[in-house]
Amino acid sequence: MNFAAVGRGIPRRTGAIQAAGRAQYGVDFTLPRMLWGAIVRSEQSHARIVKVDVSRALAHPGVKAVVTGQEAPDGLYGARLRDEPIFAKDRVRYVGEPVAAVAAVDADTAAEAARLVKVEYEPLPHLFTTEEALREGAVLIHPDLGTYFHRRYDCHPVAGTNIASHIKIRKGDVNEGFARADVVYADAYHTQAVHCAYIEPHAAVADWDATGKLTVWSSTQCPFLVRSQLAIAMRMPVSRIRVLATAVGGGFGGKALMKIEGVCALLAQAAGRPVKMVLTRAEEFTATSVRHPFTIDIKTGARRDGTLVACEARLVIDNGAYSQAGDGVCWEATIGASGPYVVPHQKVDGLLVYTNRLPSGPFRGFGWPQATWAFEQNMDGIAHQLGMDPLEIRLQNAVEEGSISSTGEALHSVGLKACLQAAADSIGWDKRVKTPYRGYGLAAITKLSVPFTASSSFLKINEDGRVHLLTGAVDIGQGSDMALIQIAAEELGFSPDAIDVMQADTDSTPFDDGARSSRLTFHMGNAVRKAAADARQELLRRAADIMEVAAEDLVVQDGRVSVVGSPGRSMGIGELVVQSHWLCGGPILGRGSIADDDVVPMDPETGQSPHVAPYFEYGAQAVEVAIDPESGRVRVVRVVSAHDCGRAINPLAVEGQIEGGLAMGLGYALMEEVHFEEGRVTNPSFMDYLLPTSLDMPPVTSIIVEGFPHKDGPFGAKGVGEASTIGIAAAIGNAIFDATGRRIKDLPITWERMLEALEGDG
Amino acid sequence: MPRATGLAQAVQLTVNGKPQQGVIEPETLLLDYLRDHLELTGARRGCESGYCGACTVLLDGQPVHSCSVLAVTSRGSEVQTIEGTDATVRLLQEAFVARGAIQCGYCTPGIILTAKALLAENPRPSDVEVRVAISGNICRCTGYVKIVEAIQAVAAQMTGSGTRAVTR
Repeated sequence: MNFAAVGRGIPRRTGAIQAAGRAQYGVDFTLPRMLWGAIVRSEQSHARIVKVDVSRALAHPGVKAVVTGQEAPDGLYGARLRDEPIFAKDRVRYVGEPVAAVAAVDADTAAEAARLVKVEYEPLPHLFTTEEALREGAVLIHPDLGTYFHRRYDCHPVAGTNIASHIKIRKGDVNEGFARADVVYADAYHTQAVHCAYIEPHAAVADWDATGKLTVWSSTQCPFLVRSQLAIAMRMPVSRIRVLATAVGGGFGGKALMKIEGVCALLAQAAGRPVKMVLTRAEEFTATSVRHPFTIDIKTGARRDGTLVACEARLVIDNGAYSQAGDGVCWEATIGASGPYVVPHQKVDGLLVYTNRLPSGPFRGFGWPQATWAFEQNMDGIAHQLGMDPLEIRLQNAVEEGSISSTGEALHSVGLKACLQAAADSIGWDKRVKTPYRGYGLAAITKLSVPFTASSSFLKINEDGRVHLLTGAVDIGQGSDMALIQIAAEELGFSPDAIDVMQADTDSTPFDDGARSSRLTFHMGNAVRKAAADARQELLRRAADIMEVAAEDLVVQDGRVSVVGSPGRSMGIGELVVQSHWLCGGPILGRGSIADDDVVPMDPETGQSPHVAPYFEYGAQAVEVAIDPESGRVRVVRVVSAHDCGRAINPLAVEGQIEGGLAMGLGYALMEEVHFEEGRVTNPSFMDYLLPTSLDMPPVTSIIVEGFPHKDGPFGAKGVGEASTIGIAAAIGNAIFDATGRRIKDLPITWERMLEALEGDG
Repeated sequence: MPRATGLAQAVQLTVNGKPQQGVIEPETLLLDYLRDHLELTGARRGCESGYCGACTVLLDGQPVHSCSVLAVTSRGSEVQTIEGTDATVRLLQEAFVARGAIQCGYCTPGIILTAKALLAENPRPSDVEVRVAISGNICRCTGYVKIVEAIQAVAAQMTGSGTRAVTR
């Protein structure tokens, strides 16, 4: 297929504005008469709130309002399981939980006054580990769990326990599977808490008009999700809430859900003035969310020839105090626990467990980096036992078109083997030489895009022939705006230069489920493509009337509508739109939408479904590492990251996603960890929480594997945003094993941990 | 913006080539002075501890984390922010856009200013020298690959040693 707009690496439209420092992020947004808010946070991990005394704060000069859990609305919000209030009411569940908030004339005054709020607690027993929380008779962090609203098909809370969700895969007969296995490899893995560490902190401004309508400007990935969570928590109808997305200084999942918007709105309401809030970096670490730590016990069985026959796994997931998408993470990771391989017999249990520390939340990869850390190291374990090459065993078992997945689906658009081969070829897998303390590792990658979401868009052709694309999608840096422009341009037959994307505004742009789960190219791409087709048809219908020819005889090219075979008979699009207003009436407005109407909820007992998610993305990563036996330092010499995204709508942006996700994966593998002591974060700053710098990035080869288009994707495209974050830790783990014969099972792979492994008995 | 303490000092400095007469509280950070007093918002707070570099500006040509500099100490200095564009900055801006070195863009102004300072001192840096120069600027989006490419493209362009055309 030849494309005019799709497949080109066109630079982002907002680039010049961003480079000039003129993009307006949440932190830059201001309103006249605006106050600043600060949050009073729990100092206790688990306690009953006895009394909140705000008198000193209220008397502090410059303070305009104080809000506490007592007067705040009592709606509980959440992703699938609704368990979280805007302010703690009767009990706090983690250090950092909002108890009250202050609005004052400036940020310093608000912070000072917040320290004057006195909260009296009666401590409750606390649970800092999933192990303690799962113990018989453990104190219940959410005694009302059984009454909470939850989405029934992918979240299964166990009332009377600390289990927020239990997801099961039961496929074939796992006992029979292991009976048929010639070798079994079992191990236990652990992953740590890490932070999204977007450089712009959470920022929002809230304002109420005289009729009681709320407007919120937020640095959010998902304005419609924020609107619905605000509506649920504040018990308001969605139409009385307007959410506008500002420019977003990085999200990575951390800005997908409501965070400070509710507090900000309640302060603005109490003060009768607009209120702005910007979190400090310390608050980001102690009171937003972290990636879910996992403990994974996994057992894999294979025949002598390397064919996988069985997998049994138990994933225990630290949810923290509230389910900020933990329900979804648990669901996805359970599906992914056995990897992108054909495994006929499986038994997998995913347990999402409450603990008394800050909530775990959505983070690029959504459970798959954790699951992959385990199953991809187990694959190498099996290969080692069988004396097989790690590439060979993967190619032998990897899913392909028509393979049956862990959830019983016949898979479609599967470029996994091509990715594995491309990554291996590029790193020189077959030519690798055994050198002391140097090794090579591979990891296969897959991830599904979350089901039951929707996107919609309007496409308006203006009187100068330019196009306004109205969507609720937010370009948080990933490049969705240009991808959508290219899709619209291709379908319309317009130049991408003639198309602009409007700012997401829940009052005027149509519904969308947000920039998450690598879903915008696929979902919004489809919605935009349909809107463009609709607008094009309308344009031609009106052109046919105005030009008095049959619509079938018209073509759109070079910004004009022309009559086929009659050179010289054409009209500029702008001119057509203007005439159409007077001659036909109304704007030329296309509409398009997509729903996951063919997705089937999985059986809650077996986890089986004929079509569990809109699509799966695939990839493979290969690394070469060099280990310093003196210090334990693991140096990544080279990384190759190969990805099947169906079709790259914009290869420049796809490469950007691969490179950026990979850097994040490296940080996860080697450096990053949020440390806790007694439920309290002990390294809440960039001084103590290490992030990859320019010096930590090894040479990178990004490979886009095409040839496996998705039948439902716009021009065959799927998402790619999360994939390169997923496999890198496991690839490094496998390379370390290759280099040293030692297997690291806990992340991150610090120098100390590596040294310990080298010094141990192996 | 800190409240008046009565200790404010008159401070003269040059910002983007324009003389500024500021009455500045002693604890006011250069970042806040630029953002709140002069409404130059291209420098942004990321970590408030001098680690992320989103607040980078040039102080007498040298990149500094303006969240860690008291405004009063820049008395008599020349400050350049991203708003004070010049030929090198413009080339860097264009290269960053063309080569996909910008994703969320929050760190971009700081990195462009750091790169300008580097190229002023070292017109033809090695990749490692570029990486060392920008190692005080965290970019969480790009993995730095395209940032290094963009800076090197400008270095090549400015020293006339040829540049790879962007063919995409």
